[in-house]
Amino acid sequence: MSTRKRRDDGGVAYLDVEGTLRERTVDALRDRTLRGNLDTAATSWGESRDAMREHYGLDDMRERAREIRRSNIRNLPALLTQMQEKVREAGGTVVRAADGAEACRYITGLAQARGVKVVAKSKSMATEEIKLNEALVDAGIEVVETDLGEWILQLANEHPSHIIAPAVHLNREQVAALFREEAGTDDVPDDREGLVAHARVRLREKFAEAGIGVSGVNLGVASTGTVCVVENEGNARLVTSQPPIHVAVMGMERVVADWDEAAHILQVLPMAAIGQDAANYVNLITGPRREGESDGPEEFHLVIIDGGRGALRGTEFEEALSCIRCGACLYSCPMWRSVGGQAYGSPYSGPIGAVITPLLEGPSSPASRDLPFMSSLCGACGEACPVGIPLQDLLVRARARASSPATRKSGMAFRAWSRLWRRPSTYRAWMAGWRLMLRTRGKDGWATELPGPGAGWTEVRDMPTRWPPRR
Amino acid sequence: MSTGQGGSAQSGDPVVDLLLDSLARRKATAQVVDAADAGREAARWMADAGVARAVLASDPVVERIGLADALKREGIDVRIWPTGLGKRETMGLEGPADVCGVTVPSLAVAERGTIVLEASDGHGRGLDVTSRHHVALLPADRIVRTLGEALALTFADGRPAPSAVSLVSGPSRSSDIEKISTLGAHGALTEHVVIIR
Repeated sequence: MSTRKRRDDGGVAYLDVEGTLRERTVDALRDRTLRGNLDTAATSWGESRDAMREHYGLDDMRERAREIRRSNIRNLPALLTQMQEKVREAGGTVVRAADGAEACRYITGLAQARGVKVVAKSKSMATEEIKLNEALVDAGIEVVETDLGEWILQLANEHPSHIIAPAVHLNREQVAALFREEAGTDDVPDDREGLVAHARVRLREKFAEAGIGVSGVNLGVASTGTVCVVENEGNARLVTSQPPIHVAVMGMERVVADWDEAAHILQVLPMAAIGQDAANYVNLITGPRREGESDGPEEFHLVIIDGGRGALRGTEFEEALSCIRCGACLYSCPMWRSVGGQAYGSPYSGPIGAVITPLLEGPSSPASRDLPFMSSLCGACGEACPVGIPLQDLLVRARARASSPATRKSGMAFRAWSRLWRRPSTYRAWMAGWRLMLRTRGKDGWATELPGPGAGWTEVRDMPTRWPPRR
Repeated sequence: MSTGQGGSAQSGDPVVDLLLDSLARRKATAQVVDAADAGREAARWMADAGVARAVLASDPVVERIGLADALKREGIDVRIWPTGLGKRETMGLEGPADVCGVTVPSLAVAERGTIVLEASDGHGRGLDVTSRHHVALLPADRIVRTLGEALALTFADGRPAPSAVSLVSGPSRSSDIEKISTLGAHGALTEHVVIIR
């Protein structure tokens, strides 16, 4: 499919997305392997999550989580100020970046100033959003994604398909082929354990080499200036403990007030994301290594990104900022389950991606025109969201905001139709005309080809000329 | 669940039993032992697992149970944190492959099977993940029921926040290939918790 073409120069940066949303969607629908992989993943997620829901009362936990996140967003400026002060007290550096370009400039500048050649990363959607990998590669710095799924994608030159399980659309044989190509040898096992062990050694070499470790941030805790990095593999701990510099990249909305709130969100997150009551590793980091400690980074930098988020506060889209990036809405979405994340052509896919990508990229972006329509508005996403974001309502609002020649034209047509049907006399005249047309066009009780607005219907099915239809 | 030769799988204490159940769910093994037997039991577990070198947190609990001597009797190379080893050897790229990091959790969460590791001078923040095996020595009186209690104690007002705290819930795993959980992705392949009465 069009998004999977390789870069000729062998660089690690992701490709710009190709084709229109419709083309990518059609490509994805034709990919049977992809459908099978997505289906397996979504089904197993659903089963584990249902078990959690009963055991812990996930529905009650959602109410509390929603309150916490709404109050965080209301108090965001104060929380960020406190976060910043506390990180500095702990010996860290804090940078507030207005947009992705500014954040990338800071991080590449830091790497160049310290003479860093290799950067090891743990999974972070925020760095994907700001295209940090591309910026580092352009500056001549090698970037290695160390989360197993992300590394696989990096080798395949693809974008993540899912917030939590990025390579969920590739199967074992496809992964083994990529590893053989990277290692330049056929001596790579193709069972799962063997593949994981192979990656473990290859990536440890990178941890030993890396001058900077870059991680994302799941939550920032303002009261102590601590960043929480949640993971299952242990790579984020290596990224945050082995290289001499740790750079944590955080979206500005990811901050909570204190440890009482953090404890609640940290419990909700793995249940919603993977259907487990705990992630394997939660790394809680407060500044760089202290005097006397003999491992951990000597420098800690927290880069806080606005990137269009601040402007959403106080708008009808404010609740989108509550998102904790668990991925539950993706798995629950029939649209996402059919086409996967890559068809969306943006780092954030699924219902939350369809809402926030247009908001972050601005009303005139292609994403703004297309993405809000990647939904059947069935409401499964809103039901799955562990922090109670009314995603289906936000999708409707995002549609209303989308403006293009096509949407303006259909808007005019619907307004005219509405005027016509509002008065009994014009409604009856319309219906009489419609019946006459059906009778003259129809044959044996069925019309197979209609003009005007009826053409869309009869393109794929017949229309009965009377009700109930004749068998 | 492995109980170890001298340990028992059930303790009679409901919070300890809850922790044992949760650890089993997380694919960690555990045993409950008396302080007098803890050093010998932990060393025997490591010998059975084929451990060649143990890297011990420098902590009063490790000393109290006489672990270093017990390990030497099993013929296991003993290093105390900080080890002064290079980065490549610390991560197992050089030197013996079967290294075991021995940690002393500050707390454990019974409900979820989580142990809490605080970085300090004597306790490296990478101690458990850089090694192939991980043994945690947990005094039974450090077990709390919920994550909320553990975090409230760890980040209590007036106590400086540690530079790094790790909540560890079972061995390293990845579900990135076909969404099937596979152990030992980057961190330890095995986690064994020795609960000391």
